[in-house]
Amino acid sequence: MRAVLMSLLSLTLILGTAGCTKKKKADYDLDIATTLRINISTEPPSLDWHKSTDTTSALIQDNMMEGLVEYNLTDKELGLKPALATEWRAENNNQTWFFTIRKGVKWTDGQELTAQQFIDGWQRLLTPATAAEYAYFLYGIKNARPFNEGKLTDFSQVGVSVTDKGELKVELTSPTAYFPYLLTHHSTFPVRLDVIAKHGDQWIEPGKIVTLGAYTLKVWDHDKAIVLERNEGYYGEKAKTKHILAYMINELSTALNLFNAGKIDAQTQLPSTELRELRKRAEYRETGILSIYYYGFNVKKPPLDNPIVRKAISHAIDRKEVTQMLDGGQIPLTSWVPPGMFGYEPNMGTEFSPDKAKQLLEQAGYKDRSKFPKIEIGFNTNDDHKRVAENIQAQLKRNLGIDVELKNEEWKVYLKSLKTDPPHIFRLGWLADYPDPDNFLNLMTSYSENNHTRWGSKEFDDLIAKAVGLATQEMRAQVYTEAQKILTEKDVPVAPIYASVAHSLVAPRVVDFPFNSMQRFVFKGVSLK
Amino acid sequence: MKEKILLFLGADWDKSLLIGLPIALCVLVTLFLDFFGFEVPTALYVVDGLLILGAFLHFTITQGLVTYVFKRTGEALVVVMVIATLTFLLLRLVPGGPFDQEKALPPEVKANIEAKYKLNAPIYEQYFDYMAKLAQGDLGESYKYIGRPITDILAETLPSSVQLGIYALLISFLIGIPAGVYAASRHNTMADSLTMITAISGVALPSFLVAPLLILFFSFYLEWLPPALWEGPEYYILPIITLGVRPAAVIARLTRSSVLDVIRSDYIRTARAKGLSEMVILYKHVLKNSLIPVLTFSGPLVAGVLTGSFVIELIFAVPGMAKHLIQSVSNRDYPLILGTTLVFSLVLVFANLIVDLLYAYFDPRIKLT
Repeated sequence: MRAVLMSLLSLTLILGTAGCTKKKKADYDLDIATTLRINISTEPPSLDWHKSTDTTSALIQDNMMEGLVEYNLTDKELGLKPALATEWRAENNNQTWFFTIRKGVKWTDGQELTAQQFIDGWQRLLTPATAAEYAYFLYGIKNARPFNEGKLTDFSQVGVSVTDKGELKVELTSPTAYFPYLLTHHSTFPVRLDVIAKHGDQWIEPGKIVTLGAYTLKVWDHDKAIVLERNEGYYGEKAKTKHILAYMINELSTALNLFNAGKIDAQTQLPSTELRELRKRAEYRETGILSIYYYGFNVKKPPLDNPIVRKAISHAIDRKEVTQMLDGGQIPLTSWVPPGMFGYEPNMGTEFSPDKAKQLLEQAGYKDRSKFPKIEIGFNTNDDHKRVAENIQAQLKRNLGIDVELKNEEWKVYLKSLKTDPPHIFRLGWLADYPDPDNFLNLMTSYSENNHTRWGSKEFDDLIAKAVGLATQEMRAQVYTEAQKILTEKDVPVAPIYASVAHSLVAPRVVDFPFNSMQRFVFKGVSLK
Repeated sequence: MKEKILLFLGADWDKSLLIGLPIALCVLVTLFLDFFGFEVPTALYVVDGLLILGAFLHFTITQGLVTYVFKRTGEALVVVMVIATLTFLLLRLVPGGPFDQEKALPPEVKANIEAKYKLNAPIYEQYFDYMAKLAQGDLGESYKYIGRPITDILAETLPSSVQLGIYALLISFLIGIPAGVYAASRHNTMADSLTMITAISGVALPSFLVAPLLILFFSFYLEWLPPALWEGPEYYILPIITLGVRPAAVIARLTRSSVLDVIRSDYIRTARAKGLSEMVILYKHVLKNSLIPVLTFSGPLVAGVLTGSFVIELIFAVPGMAKHLIQSVSNRDYPLILGTTLVFSLVLVFANLIVDLLYAYFDPRIKLT
């Protein structure tokens, strides 16, 4: 017994001392001087660009893949520039689109890009079995919706094909001026079906995945970090920084600590409570983003079924007071389309006026405030949402003399409530999918899944449908103005509160960090000092 | 030398020493190598595992506890099954589903997703399907981390949690027990009061306060240690202290009060009358009999600490499992919730079983049947 134990013990010690090598360091042996270190907050849910729906996965995908077109990140209004398509044109009143595929683009395994690989990708996105959430992105294409529903099984009937000239031809169900914008989105990127067939679900792992963007996936250390490496075979100008090391640090204050300790170069989300201090620093940067924060009214719940009451409430909210209280650089908003996009109307909507508000409330029959029913403001549990709701509660008491109750719910429970029985007033936000007013106004159409107000107006729906078919931006802007008037001045099913801004810290050694209103972080143009 | 050690430990500790010492040495070597960032060969883990298992079997067989262990293991499995069932059902009762999100999905898309994950099937069907797969060790795929098997997620995150947990347990026992004995032996003195004030502070301070204080002091003021990440020994220290400080304090308090009880008993008076040295009395005769309350506390402690602490993993960016245990609930990621809950309950149930066996070891008067 003793002998056995002793021999085991010696074996352990021998193994322990002799068999050991120093573990690979978690900085993945990268040279910091040529590595941009960022924080992507969380493990990307999937690098499969047809299946993921979140911004973390999108960030990685946008750096290793490309679509037909891409945002011109140096343009403030985010125009488009050629990417995998060298040029494109619309016919038939923006209803049929043609894209010329760039020649000589190579995937990382050396194969050449073809137009068919786009069709493959779109077919995969729309195939019911893929269960892709973003399948609806392509619902504008002829027969795409029935194909995704499983009612149509022959993909050749879907409005996408390759012409004799080798162009990619897309036929839409209705005129859509903003269609090329959708093609910047990862769900529309081309794909290599042979790679997926070979590796199955594992095809997105390093060593298996085949891409064509400025970076390739080198390491995916789940729940820890991702390393991207410059793609030397990239068709365009090669990326300026050799590696990107993306940590997955959840907690904002932890990320901030690491930034302060010089362990990461950029942090694009900051704790709101620290902004006052952080703003003083040279590395601090505020960027307007295409995102709105609004209060919706459930127009079926009395007394909010009366548009005059809704208008009174909207007039009684001083947006500036809210943004000053938040102190995060947010822009007070009374129109629906946020700044940074055509269609933004700073003077539209219900301006702050307690007198007008009181007058309207009396006009609605609530001269005696005690007769005004108790109403509720709902929001999902979050410190900032709570601060806004408390502020608005106080404003409504002060400016209008009415009492409102606050009700917070856990996020998913809240979403369920919004779907089944929205509170009188509820908080929500919207972040642009594409930088076009349509994305914001479509949200309030009577058929939108995201319109929780129960409000619907045929006049409004018709205007939105009309606008996307118009040829010029000026003509469209005019129609959007009309639509926004209905939304924010006439029927008032919503009270916009503010347009959001993004706060970031970027180390001085980082040059040309891609700040932009869509939060599209493509790093090929970033260099390090 | 050996006689001296044996005199100190007593004859009944001789055998234990023979088995315990190599095990402790092996485990310590492993921990040491792991801590200092060496790639520990799998063989070493296997040897550790075999040694512990061997000791466990040796004890079970010599004490005639084989049936007991089998019975308890059976019970444990039933408990885990019940937990799986309850969790499964409760999840379906919680409002909000895994694919409800701010940007609502068109019904067609939602139907495709529900069909893929069989969420449109009747609940009992989903349940039997889940249980059948579970019996084969298949925990399914995550909804949130699309296509990733739950077993992969657990295999990738649990080790960091366990690693952090073992170190934290080690320091909490190594600090807590001696501190408790020390305070008891200096009962009603300044040293006793100071130790206990420290311990009470340790119990009272929540980790979300201890962590930032430690970071502030060691990372930014002294600049000795990194504020977060999990990359090597210097990164391990702060999370280990934060996680270990509370159990260490509780153990110190438990040990102290239990040592105080034992120290007043007749046989200790006899030992003193025999002229044994205070050290021998305290660490040989008193301590062994005082460990029962500490053991009781250790079962849940081990389970809690090994499966990770949400707050500490967040603050120090430790790539552990606790994050998933909490966030999977907010995401309504049913398979991941079930997976993490099962791991937690398994560890808890078996930690308690081992604690019960240790009762019998430390106090032969306790009979397990």
